[in-house]
Amino acid sequence: MTLKERLKQVIVEGLNLEEIRPEDIEDEAPLFGDGLGLDSLDAVELVVLLEKHFGVEVKNMDEGRAAFQSINTLVKFMEERGAR
Amino acid sequence: MPRNMDSSDSLRAEPKTWSSRSVGGSLQHRIFYRLIRFGGRKAAYGLLFFVALYYTLFRPSISRKADPYLERRFKRAGFFKKRLNRFRIYVNFGKGLVDKAVVGILGPEEIRVSFDDQEELLHLVRRGKGLIILTAHVGCWQAAMAVLHFLERPVSLLLHREEGDVDLQYYEHQGGPPPFRIIDPRGYLGGVLEMWEVLKKGEVLCIMGDRVLGEEKNTVPVRFLGDWVRLPISPFKLAGAAGVPIAVLFSCKKGADGYRLFLERVIRVPEERGRGNSAFIPYAEAFAQALERYVREYPYEFYNFYDLWAEAQTEKATPGRKVDS
Repeated sequence: MTLKERLKQVIVEGLNLEEIRPEDIEDEAPLFGDGLGLDSLDAVELVVLLEKHFGVEVKNMDEGRAAFQSINTLVKFMEERGAR
Repeated sequence: MPRNMDSSDSLRAEPKTWSSRSVGGSLQHRIFYRLIRFGGRKAAYGLLFFVALYYTLFRPSISRKADPYLERRFKRAGFFKKRLNRFRIYVNFGKGLVDKAVVGILGPEEIRVSFDDQEELLHLVRRGKGLIILTAHVGCWQAAMAVLHFLERPVSLLLHREEGDVDLQYYEHQGGPPPFRIIDPRGYLGGVLEMWEVLKKGEVLCIMGDRVLGEEKNTVPVRFLGDWVRLPISPFKLAGAAGVPIAVLFSCKKGADGYRLFLERVIRVPEERGRGNSAFIPYAEAFAQALERYVREYPYEFYNFYDLWAEAQTEKATPGRKVDS
């Protein structure tokens, strides 16, 4: 399983997204708002999930803002941080 | 100079039915500020008496903003008692605004602030994992903010201000920078990443727990003064995720020229507590109970002039309903 696939699976299971399968999540779609439809409190959960499942820390707002645009940006961020 | 006091909380600021904007106009505020500068606090209190009386008698649409709270706190109040209650709460509210301006214009030494539980709060902060201070629109929270420097950690405040709000924060009277960092809930993701950063650095984050700025789905129903209200879960979710304690901190007027600050309770949210908003109900309930104890003791120092109960009553909220959305 690729890092991207694992991430999608963790998002669906960790955020308890009902009626969404990991393969339904588009790589370029926005994570928050119109795309996947996550909200600000989901961002808190997402930060915790990244740390818990991939050992990746989001330390500040600038990092998070760049990383949380889409699945692709998040995967890129995780790879740069040496996600496990 | 009554106004709907500034707010905070929740994680996305899209205020719909309340406003943080001052009720009084710019001129009214300037008159008070001038009076404080040249006549001192007591002169401003004197004018305040007549302003509060005017609003109580002749501006019922404004003075009734306190009614949703007063009707639940004083269930048996008759015609005159209701009006007296409105007057008392607006006088006290006005005193808080005057005192805030006094600190800014004449200096912090003009207002005495005592803090009963300083050591306990220091102990929480010195654990080094960050701390959420959860307060409410009671007493004079600015008085609390003015003395938090003893915590030896940077303090951030989630604060929403509307354009056109003419009521100045105490530090703005001197034109200096705020003594705390302000996080705007209208920012990216409601400021949640900034709040996370604050907690991860072991710093202090202040949030108002009695107002929702964002989406209703991020609230839970709890009982407050006998009826259902919806309170935000954001402070509890952040605390659980970051593994930090929540200090419920309130202030109340003490004597003519002072405030008492006290740690009402500490709420600890475990990191593993299940999914869904309903997992946060016990913590929101704990906060609501703390707030209720406060208003039982200080009935005329609750200044959240927004009908907390309206929405929850409309949907006849019960635990579990619209909770796990």
